[in-house]
Amino acid sequence: MTAALFGLDPIGESKVKKWIFSASVAGVLSLAVIALAAPQNGSNAATPPARGRGRGGAPRRGPGGPVPLLSDGHPDFSGIWNGQQTIAGNDVTSTGPGSSPTTGVPPMLPWAAKVQADRAKNQFADDFEARCLPGGPPRIPPYHISLFSTPKLVLMLFEGNTHMYRQFFVDGSDHPKNLKPTFYGDSRAHWEGDQLVVDTIGFNDISWIDGQGHPHSKQMHLVEKFRRPDFGNLQIEVDIDDPGTYQGHWHMNRVTTIETGMEMTEYVCNENNQDPGHLDHANNDGKHP
Amino acid sequence: MKKYAGVLIAALSLLGGAVPAMAHHSFAAEYDANKPVTITGTVTKVEWMNPHARFYVDVKTPDGKVTNWNFELGAIPVLLKQGWRKTSLKEGDQVTVEGSRAKDGSFSANARRVSLPDGRKVFAGSSAPNADQ
Repeated sequence: MTAALFGLDPIGESKVKKWIFSASVAGVLSLAVIALAAPQNGSNAATPPARGRGRGGAPRRGPGGPVPLLSDGHPDFSGIWNGQQTIAGNDVTSTGPGSSPTTGVPPMLPWAAKVQADRAKNQFADDFEARCLPGGPPRIPPYHISLFSTPKLVLMLFEGNTHMYRQFFVDGSDHPKNLKPTFYGDSRAHWEGDQLVVDTIGFNDISWIDGQGHPHSKQMHLVEKFRRPDFGNLQIEVDIDDPGTYQGHWHMNRVTTIETGMEMTEYVCNENNQDPGHLDHANNDGKHP
Repeated sequence: MKKYAGVLIAALSLLGGAVPAMAHHSFAAEYDANKPVTITGTVTKVEWMNPHARFYVDVKTPDGKVTNWNFELGAIPVLLKQGWRKTSLKEGDQVTVEGSRAKDGSFSANARRVSLPDGRKVFAGSSAPNADQ
């Protein structure tokens, strides 16, 4: 198991364990040192955080330290953040009769249950994200996100699945009337203590809530609460209400960690996307030839 | 010593952040985790591109025929975290690749682990269930 964490085989597992112990003792070394010392090929394997349910495990922790502040005294979320990780065992809850205690998914309306079942049946081959369309929130975006905070506007920049962005307006404005439905909706934010509360409406009904193909309607109302308890950690509470799709309320707790010593990479999804051809096969019959 | 430094760095990286090896598509829709393949051959092309890096390997069968396999790696942000670089694989390299074959029967697979010419085995950013990371 331990060896599985590394991209190196020439060294035996026992030596790897010794190095892990040494590394733990030497845990005061900074991530910046790691980044600067990174080898040029093939040996810097890091365990991935879990994505949603199923990959479980305790969430990793980022480095501590004081939270940077904006000029108005509110927390500054600026930085590159790793992929979001739901908190195992307490990641998803929902309310409403028929809520699933095992998945945390609130009961779906019949149309939604059928859509989700169909998507599961063909093993999620028709995922728009595989065709390089945006996942759209609240789906966890793949790879890194960059947050850029100012007192009146917070930008969320996505490394994948498309180089898209979200804008959280913190200027006291309300959602415009007659919003045109979009993948990312319209986000207006305000502070509650050290927590940035982001209210988003105006979604289209194309994107999925998660990789399990849970749908949503244009009625989806998303509230995300961002909190940076220390330098290296970000907590995100996600609340979903969508009476057009679900009979109950959906709540998720997520965390992510700061990433230092790197820049976001270019990720042009359509550059060489060969997957749809294979996925269309699954769409046709989902069987081996 | 250089090798050990690499392990130390890898171990230390456990203390920091990571980026998920999630793919932009469902693994199960495209690949069969129950159809493992191990292929040894010569790298003919490397595509350090999005949404997945890919490399192609010529494999000689016992009857002398040559088949060109197309291997999907993880996304570049994931590969960089695992220590891959654009130059990690080059045309002409002799490699052994372990992976999961595409369900459509084409000569393509999702690479899980690659044995490099210098003997190192590196993980491939696979999004397969329980894939090594």
